[in-house]
Amino acid sequence: MEGEKVQEYFQKITNEETDVSAGVAAIRTLMEVIKLSQSETVQELETNLKDAIHNIKNCNVPVAAITSGCELFLRFITLVGMDTVGSFRDCKQLMLDRGNICLKKFDEARGKISKLASKFLIDGSKVLTHSRSRVVLQTLYHAHKQNKRFEVFVTTSAPDNSGRQMCKELQNIGIPCTLILDSAIGYVMEQIDFIMVGAEGVVESGGIVNKIGSYTMAVCAKEMKKPFYVLTESFKFTRLFPLNQQDLPAEYKYTTKVRESVDLKNAHPYVDYTPPSYITLLFTDIGILTPSAVSDELINLYL
Amino acid sequence: MSETDVIQEKSDARQKNNKKEKKQTEKSKTDGATNKLSSTGEDKLTEKQLRKLEWEKRLAEQKTQGNVNDVKEKLSKSELKAKRREQQEAQRQAKTGKDKETVINNVITEVKQVSPDTPKSQNNKHPEEKKSPVKKSVDIKKAKPGYVQLVQHLYREPKLEYVSKVVNSKEVHPVFVKLGVQYSEKVILGSNARCLALLSAIKTLIIDLQSPAKQEFCRYMEAVLQTCTNYLQDCRPFAVSMTNALRHFKVQLTHMDKNLSDNEKRAKLIDVIELYINNDIKRAWDAICMKVNAKIVNNDVILIYGCSSLIHKILLEANKSGKKFSVIIVDSRPLLEGREMLRRLVGAKIKCTYVLINALDFVMRQATKVLLGAHALLTNGSVMSRIGTAQVALVAQACNKPVLVCCETYKFSERVQTDSFVYNEIGDSNLLLSIDTSSTASPLVSLKDNTKLSILNILYDVTPPDLVTAVVTELAILPCTSVPVVLRINANENM
Repeated sequence: MEGEKVQEYFQKITNEETDVSAGVAAIRTLMEVIKLSQSETVQELETNLKDAIHNIKNCNVPVAAITSGCELFLRFITLVGMDTVGSFRDCKQLMLDRGNICLKKFDEARGKISKLASKFLIDGSKVLTHSRSRVVLQTLYHAHKQNKRFEVFVTTSAPDNSGRQMCKELQNIGIPCTLILDSAIGYVMEQIDFIMVGAEGVVESGGIVNKIGSYTMAVCAKEMKKPFYVLTESFKFTRLFPLNQQDLPAEYKYTTKVRESVDLKNAHPYVDYTPPSYITLLFTDIGILTPSAVSDELINLYL
Repeated sequence: MSETDVIQEKSDARQKNNKKEKKQTEKSKTDGATNKLSSTGEDKLTEKQLRKLEWEKRLAEQKTQGNVNDVKEKLSKSELKAKRREQQEAQRQAKTGKDKETVINNVITEVKQVSPDTPKSQNNKHPEEKKSPVKKSVDIKKAKPGYVQLVQHLYREPKLEYVSKVVNSKEVHPVFVKLGVQYSEKVILGSNARCLALLSAIKTLIIDLQSPAKQEFCRYMEAVLQTCTNYLQDCRPFAVSMTNALRHFKVQLTHMDKNLSDNEKRAKLIDVIELYINNDIKRAWDAICMKVNAKIVNNDVILIYGCSSLIHKILLEANKSGKKFSVIIVDSRPLLEGREMLRRLVGAKIKCTYVLINALDFVMRQATKVLLGAHALLTNGSVMSRIGTAQVALVAQACNKPVLVCCETYKFSERVQTDSFVYNEIGDSNLLLSIDTSSTASPLVSLKDNTKLSILNILYDVTPPDLVTAVVTELAILPCTSVPVVLRINANENM
């Protein structure tokens, strides 16, 4: 599969299926690469995949979720390579099978999370959320289906104003929703009960990488002593340990276009890093975790 | 209770080495009994009498031995035990709600332990049973005026006499005798250096050791090694790194194939040690260097404390890779290890600033990262390191600077410690009185024998996990709280 074709395929998924997160889209693209690959050895296939991952990352989208998803997928494959005895064709088939199992698990993840998290939504609660997160949306929807009455505040979330869309979707479902300015986070903080945000990536410290503004919200929430909940699938766990905002890799913060063209000092970062001390709980498909448990899970996964 | 549990573990471990094992087992049995809540008042009495008898017997025995050093050490241990028992009893009685008066008495006696100058209470119902251990320990405290109350249990007698005694012993290999002196004189400093020295001494021992005709080599080796390490322990308590390395070696020793010839066994054992040095220590250093280097960027100002071999290596490596950064070396008395670090870094043409710890707050603002070495990483995520480290971490946290602790996994310990007093080491208090930089003698020297003055030169402190941003190990950069997971993995690998 050619580099451009990979990008095309990936972008087609992200554009057409708004319900699919970038990580899953990347994995589906990689599956396609395996299917169409002409290579004859596992080694060659692996190089192909690595090239494909590189191409996907250059698709002008933030790479947080893609990185972790791809790493997990590669891990899956290297593990396969070790315990197969059959021909290359069998090996390839096994990879695809396992990839499908993997994707199925990811699909189920959001349901599990919304089940866990919707218990925290009770009648009369006021929730603040940031930007647009599919898993938060589904959780709110899940709770609404259970006839819980609650109110949601959504930030507009500049620069892409994805909060507007979130607000519209919530109103369509029938959940009372207020759109607030990004700069009004401090203003609404005193009247809300808790915060629910999604995450683009969960890092090894137990902190999260998410749409710019999440950190502001978390700091504000800590000061006002409101719980800060993160809803995220476990395939977003990344082997990365940022020490502070500066230490976050540039490919996370800026899209490829920006990285190539502008002086980074003047560019607006797309994501920020929220340290674990600001996070109350993480709701994932492997359970409700404290931030310190994330690192334990990652060690178990990768070491 | 976790602290006292630690003490119990420690003292238990020491007891294993004790020759009077029979009695110790008896003791531990009674200990176990006191732990159970079921015992009635009468039982308690008899238990107490038993304990008291035992205690006195031991004391008498030790006195007859005439070994003052030993008595000192054991007394402090037994005193600890007595304290622990008092606490346990107090808790138990508080729970059952019986015998309220004795609870009060208990509390009072405990208070007295902390401040022995207060007059003793008169309304004690069982003055003999309650007070006897406490009273005696108070006497001992008075006998040693220079000791600081809070850390009584940490004091060790100067070992010079003991050293001269052992030099002529046939049991201890000369390499270990030398090593022991080097440890106690602080010629070999730093947990990495100490561990490497220990391993190379063991290597020499393996080569030199000739087992008697009828004894199996490994068993004999084990016995000899035990006496050697006991001697070393007397010179200076083992570092966690040394304990872990020794444990690894002993496991390999016991699993050695018995059908091999002595020479083959020697070769295998030496292989074991060399593999350990290579894999667990040197490769770990390389991996940690790489990981920290990835975090160092141009124009960084890195604050370090004291002298750590690993940090030195990291900084040299970063310098070699062409990164432009400067270093602030924070140093503290009395060891002033930072000077050595300064000498080495300046020699490598790294831009350095040197300050004493008093100026920490001032320089912390300029720093962008703090790199710290560690003596050990404890299971609750606390970092045990040279005294002053906790202070540096605290100031860094207050200034919102990331604190990276660099620590190889072979320094991870199963111990749990929440403060610096439960287990620590005490250095030479005279070092605090003299100032080696000034030409005139310090006016404090004359105060050395003043009974009103007690000086504490403690060597380590414990940094709580919330002051540390991350621990850099050879496996990954982790939060402090992941130590138990790593320990679990390591344990599984060794099985």
